[in-house]
Amino acid sequence: MIDLIHVTKRFGAATAVDDISLSVARGELCVLVGTSGCGKSTTLRMINRLIEHSEGEIHIEGQQIRAFRQETLRRRMGYAIQSTGLFPHWTVARNIGLVPRLLKWPAAKIQARVEELMALLGLAMEEFAGKYPHQLSGGQAQRVGVARALAADPDILLMDEPFGALDPITRESLQEELRELQARLHKTIVFVTHDMDEALRLADHLVVMHQGRIVQQGRPLELLREPADGFVESLLGGEDRGLKEAALLPVSQRMLPLGPRRLARERIGQQASLREALSVMLWRHSERLTVVDDDDMPVGELSLRRLVGARSDD
Amino acid sequence: MRPDTPGPNVVLLSLSLVALAAWLGLDTVSVAANRIVPGTGYRVDEVLGASGALASTLPWLALAGLAWRPARRSLALALVLVVLLLSALPAWLALSAVTLVDRDQARLGIGAGLWVVLFLLLLAMIELRSRLVLSRFVGWALLLPTVASAGLCLSRWLEPLALWQEYRGRSSQFLGAVGEHLLLVGVAVGASLVIGVLLALAMRRWPGVQKAGFGVLNFLQTIPSIALFGLLLAPLAWLSANVDWLAALGVSGIGWAPALLALVGYSLLPMVRNTFVALEAVDPGVIDAARGMGMSRGQVFRQVRLPLALPVILEGIRITTVQAIGLTAVAALIGAGGLGTFIFQGLGQAAMDLVLLGALPILVLALLVDALLGALTEILRPGGAQ
Repeated sequence: MIDLIHVTKRFGAATAVDDISLSVARGELCVLVGTSGCGKSTTLRMINRLIEHSEGEIHIEGQQIRAFRQETLRRRMGYAIQSTGLFPHWTVARNIGLVPRLLKWPAAKIQARVEELMALLGLAMEEFAGKYPHQLSGGQAQRVGVARALAADPDILLMDEPFGALDPITRESLQEELRELQARLHKTIVFVTHDMDEALRLADHLVVMHQGRIVQQGRPLELLREPADGFVESLLGGEDRGLKEAALLPVSQRMLPLGPRRLARERIGQQASLREALSVMLWRHSERLTVVDDDDMPVGELSLRRLVGARSDD
Repeated sequence: MRPDTPGPNVVLLSLSLVALAAWLGLDTVSVAANRIVPGTGYRVDEVLGASGALASTLPWLALAGLAWRPARRSLALALVLVVLLLSALPAWLALSAVTLVDRDQARLGIGAGLWVVLFLLLLAMIELRSRLVLSRFVGWALLLPTVASAGLCLSRWLEPLALWQEYRGRSSQFLGAVGEHLLLVGVAVGASLVIGVLLALAMRRWPGVQKAGFGVLNFLQTIPSIALFGLLLAPLAWLSANVDWLAALGVSGIGWAPALLALVGYSLLPMVRNTFVALEAVDPGVIDAARGMGMSRGQVFRQVRLPLALPVILEGIRITTVQAIGLTAVAALIGAGGLGTFIFQGLGQAAMDLVLLGALPILVLALLVDALLGALTEILRPGGAQ
């Protein structure tokens, strides 16, 4: 869907992005992660030509991005940024309808689409449609930003640290919403962040960048288990890696079927992560948990030995 | 009632006490035998007697008392009192005219005390208006009683008022002078707006222009206005002598042409600076998003950058206009007309009241323009953003 082939970007004598190659498959959420100045934002902005690449080729669905007019290219991609970039002099509804208006949709269709998106993002129409951005909280503003990016139903979504300025609780709930949204919409998303927890939580495909180069890319678990070098390892949290990995694995992967023993008193959902399960054990001083399904029916049990024990080959 | 009673409103308290001191200690009116001789000042006690003066302190003390415990109701009461006091000032002049002026030629002058009190009362009104969160419109409406009272007093009792006599001697020229003044200001601000916006756009495009442009404009601003008029005299005189169509247009070394040139020159700096800063100061995140969404350069400018910059640009127009209204007074020196004419005539004849006849309308015009453009800026800020 998106292919970067030996792409380099130079600003004068400085090389911001150094010969990177990257493929993002359709429907995949690709997270670029790295320290500030590593070239991740530059990479993102080269895809919609806010920055023109110096060498190499960038393809969208097999076509060179330079084959499109800049505006045409950008209107095909949603774009959400950390500062939201909402127009302060426009209402929420008008902000969301921006790209459809640029694409000259009929007014009724724009109106319908705005309503649809506000419902999708959990923004009550009557409460928010007429509000101006400065009347919104940070989380609400960022929801509007995401709704605006989705407005013309683009296949591709570019997100540049969209949740970076939010408090941890709002950030986590928006991350969760993005995952649910993605499960329904199957957009191709390129997501930039410096927050490794966010990257691990969201990514299908994780790309670690350092000094303009891609140091390692792959699925989050692969990177956790086999970091390419010390840099990736430290970025992934060093000693914390065990917990980070546990956060990615669901309880259902390690639980055993219900045995003849009595059910343990403490319960955990089968979709919860191993990290949450461990936390419950620590907190309740309990070595055994009963695993329940969505309807709170016991479906299995998880012991501390199983939790920390031999890895399943997933 | 809120549990914590607010402390004294220090602003209103000090304003009312200073006003009281000025009211008692300074001359409120003066009487002169004719136009030229300096007048004799009269304090309140010299007009009303000691007991009358003592009684006249009551409203000020009441105002101070209301400021001491500024609950919302007492502030509203204070505002009513301020409006009443303002309306009473013309009446005080009328009373003085009736009691003090006995000869035909004699003229009543407004004393320092009364000016100070007027000024302080207006300040108190602004303070109360913002404390009570009243709209601009209400603020202006509050001045109506004073205007009505002044009109009534002028028509009935204030014939000896020197300022009024000067006006009646020149009532036919007065409106013309206001018209000339406004025309000069309007054309100068209009021209500098067009040039200023173009210059600001050029500066954004080419950084070289920015440095040179601001250098020249800053330099222009440092030339004293009278010197600039003088400097323009020779080249313009030469031009009108040698270029027929310019002469036919009425361009000459003195008159409106040098005045207009100088005014435009002075107006350019605030205009360009505000326009430039306004366009530059738009949140880069918003511009980035606009471009990233696929707006063309023209769309970004027209739909995002310009509307967001507009309040600050209007602010520049406001500052420029107020400044130009004042500067145009000086332009009367080189025969450009306007209200400055009265000021310089009055200075020449040592008739201070004639100077006032020129200066007061300039002040009022400046305040009016300031208020009007301020209101416009507020209206153009949709959703009260920022």
